[in-house]
Amino acid sequence: MKKEKQIYEDLSPIQDKAQKTLILVGIVFILILFFFWKIQILDHKKYWRQSEANRLREIILPPQRGLIKDRNGIILAKNIASFQVSIIRENCRDIEQSYQRISRLLDLELPVLRERIDKYKYLPLFQPIVIVDNLNVDEISRVKARQAEFPELIIQAEPKRNYPHETLAAHVIGYLQEISKEELGRAKGKKNPGDLVGRTGIEREYENQLVGKEGRILEIADSLGRKRGEISREDAVPGQDIRLTLDFSLQRKAEELLEGREGAVVVLDSKTGEILALASYPTFDPNKFISRFSPQEWLNLLQDPEFPLENRAIRGLYAPGSLFKLTMALGALDSRVVSEWKTYYCTGSTRIYGHAFSCWFRGGHGSVNLYSGIKHSCNIYFYNVGKLMGIEEIAKYARIMGFGIRTGVDLPGEKEGLVPDPDWKRRVRNEPWYPGETISVSIGQGPLQVTPLQIAACTALIANRGRAITPYLFKKNQSTRIGSPQVEIHESVFDKVITGMWKSVNEGGTGRAARVQGFDVCGKTGSTQVVSTATAEKLGQDERIVKTHSWYTGFAPKENPEIVVTILVEYGGMGGATAAPKAGEIFRLYRDSHDR
Amino acid sequence: MIDRNQVRNIDWVLIGLLILNTAIGMAFIHSSSQYLPGNHALKQFVLFLGALIVLFVFLSINYRALVDYSLYFYSVALIVLSGLLLFGRLTAGTKSWIVLPVFQIQPSEPTKITVILVLAHLFSSYRRDSLSLGLGFLSILIVGAPTLLVAMQPDLGTALTYIPILLAVFVMVGLKKRTVIILIIFALVLGIVGWNGFLKDYQKERITTLLSPQKDPLGAGYQTIQSKIAIGSGGFLGKGYKKGTQSQLRFLPARHTDFIFSVIGEEFGLIGVIVTFLVYFLFLGRLFQSTTKSRDRAGVFIIYMVASMIAFQFFVNVFMTIGLFPIAGVPLPLISYGGSSLITNFLAVSLVINVRMRRFVNV
Repeated sequence: MKKEKQIYEDLSPIQDKAQKTLILVGIVFILILFFFWKIQILDHKKYWRQSEANRLREIILPPQRGLIKDRNGIILAKNIASFQVSIIRENCRDIEQSYQRISRLLDLELPVLRERIDKYKYLPLFQPIVIVDNLNVDEISRVKARQAEFPELIIQAEPKRNYPHETLAAHVIGYLQEISKEELGRAKGKKNPGDLVGRTGIEREYENQLVGKEGRILEIADSLGRKRGEISREDAVPGQDIRLTLDFSLQRKAEELLEGREGAVVVLDSKTGEILALASYPTFDPNKFISRFSPQEWLNLLQDPEFPLENRAIRGLYAPGSLFKLTMALGALDSRVVSEWKTYYCTGSTRIYGHAFSCWFRGGHGSVNLYSGIKHSCNIYFYNVGKLMGIEEIAKYARIMGFGIRTGVDLPGEKEGLVPDPDWKRRVRNEPWYPGETISVSIGQGPLQVTPLQIAACTALIANRGRAITPYLFKKNQSTRIGSPQVEIHESVFDKVITGMWKSVNEGGTGRAARVQGFDVCGKTGSTQVVSTATAEKLGQDERIVKTHSWYTGFAPKENPEIVVTILVEYGGMGGATAAPKAGEIFRLYRDSHDR
Repeated sequence: MIDRNQVRNIDWVLIGLLILNTAIGMAFIHSSSQYLPGNHALKQFVLFLGALIVLFVFLSINYRALVDYSLYFYSVALIVLSGLLLFGRLTAGTKSWIVLPVFQIQPSEPTKITVILVLAHLFSSYRRDSLSLGLGFLSILIVGAPTLLVAMQPDLGTALTYIPILLAVFVMVGLKKRTVIILIIFALVLGIVGWNGFLKDYQKERITTLLSPQKDPLGAGYQTIQSKIAIGSGGFLGKGYKKGTQSQLRFLPARHTDFIFSVIGEEFGLIGVIVTFLVYFLFLGRLFQSTTKSRDRAGVFIIYMVASMIAFQFFVNVFMTIGLFPIAGVPLPLISYGGSSLITNFLAVSLVINVRMRRFVNV
């Protein structure tokens, strides 16, 4: 062996270089190991999470929303099959090109499509964004047929809310709309973008019961989005059905009566406070805009000068007009300002505090006591009573009767109205109370404001001789009946006022049009001046302005009352002429269907 | 031809390490392609058998004869590469392949062997202790010509693997400081001209993406990110053979070719990485050590160039999987799927064995 070194050339200089290179290679190996140490040991958790995020896909199973039924089980809101198409931006090869192709596929204008996606720009790329919904089977099959070309699109079946009776009780039931960004934040992960939530009415009030619980599938997916296995599955829990106190036929009747006008009808079970009908007109068809996207119809409704979306029964604020005379009568008798036999003489007008105040009946009612005052709705009688009571006392009784306070009905957005007093005027208008205003308030005018539902609740309180009810819509299994009187007005006082109301209907008073043979209806009419007579004359001939709002409220039968009916017709003219006959029809329908 | 002495001197350890690395490759080719149409692992096994035959056939030819005729091989290779540019058809965007009925050949791979032989020939009797400027530029020309032809296909990854051969020569011969400076300036000028006039946009993108892969997670950075996720999620012990989600669910690109090392990292964790490194280091060590078993200058040059070429490719590929090098399309020698690369590397190792086994013989 040793000999060879002499025979051959000495190559050790270059062989040494190879040895050194090998050492260098060894050093590089060790250096790379540090990088692998960092990635595989120090940053392992981070990469593990990312690989899990790659591999796992969560699919949300929307729950069936609970049904809404009337008291007899007639379905007012249900669910039907529908499909939605969503985009997962992560799967787009080229966003712009993708948009253009999708726009053609779905027949959706590019700016519209972009707007829909941009709305959720802030979401992570893997989260699906709904771009079209409410597609039926035919429409979706066209998209399905070409799904292979669009890996970024997913099609999901989704139960769609449907209101089979369209406009019926629309204000009570409410409607669904896409969850807003703020609500999404408040829901803290319990809701997903694109979820539809109750926006008004029962749909909103009982959202938590109706919505149910969504299911989740955790599955394994490959890089092309194909499902490769399932890790866990949790089925959706359907929402609770809700039975309302509404009576389908009474509700339909109430809406028919209002058709073509603006107004509200409230029908209560006077013993329990169950709302049998609650109508507001004009109305809308909630089916037309259960969508994530605002169609033209929705915008039209929002801009309609007659505010069809407003529930006038709980949100409309009106002067109670002559209906307030019931409260006045109760207050006057209870505080012993007058007795029922005290009379005032009505000549058609009178001067109080140097101002002229007139009765609605220019000819005058002659000598008027409490009974005939209610029966004929005489202004002069109540001007005098009001003057004796004073505003503080009037306000006290108004509040006892439930005005200026929400009734507590289980609907969102109820208004509380306004009971004016000197304190309020100083606070809000920074002016003293003028005695003349007391006279206006005495006949339910002035700043006094009530909702039709408050009137109905107040009427039930009278019917029950002092036992207050809270109107409600969610049908309980066992209705809580009213117990002992809660209002500190003596029962005999109520009886006297009720006698006046009975006379108004049954002895040829203003409410005679509400009379129903064999059903002891007691009631009161009201006509509210929308503007003062002077202003009306200045404004001229527009009938709508000059005309008054027409009120009627009543209950039946006189003894052991069962039902309260309150009707408001905007610009309806005299209460006796417009509202009272409508109330009569409802009483009649109720009596006929409850004929024992 | 072959006598018994030579056969006795065949380096079976080196052949063993060669086969061990190829076997590791086949195991992970199987793991990462079993769900694809066509049995890639089996194909690789057949190619391995072919490569082994080629290896032994070339052992029977004295490497000095190969060196003597190197210029002919080299010329043929250049003609083939030029012809490919002129007449080749685009396959996957490049003109890298000669498409034959049963299989495809990538001539840019075996051309490296001819370059090594020519350079060995050129320096076999050069005994000065530093490179002359003339020979320097001649060797640049020898390596540069095929490199340019390959780069024009365009296959920048393979072109890149020619560079270590040139560097190996420079190191072997030794450079004066002056030459080093001239070469650096030359490289810089070439780099700037290349960046502005020669690199395609996607290639530039790959280089800029290296600096910040998160900038475009769906585009150019995707492969690097997915590879790092694969390796990182493997952790210390790995997810288990055929259980790497990144690879099995196809989030990892080029799983059985360029990114096969990421599969090793994902399925066998840091342990797998260390073991693979160890086996590879033994293999490279055996190659570099073989320079001491050469009796002549040409032999040392051949061995050193082969060892450098394989080591360089290995590091470039591994760097790529952890985002330290742009995605260049350089396979992991012996381990990645691919016949031309496998046969070329077997040929290269066969040259090393050839030199070793003939160290006692005078022809």
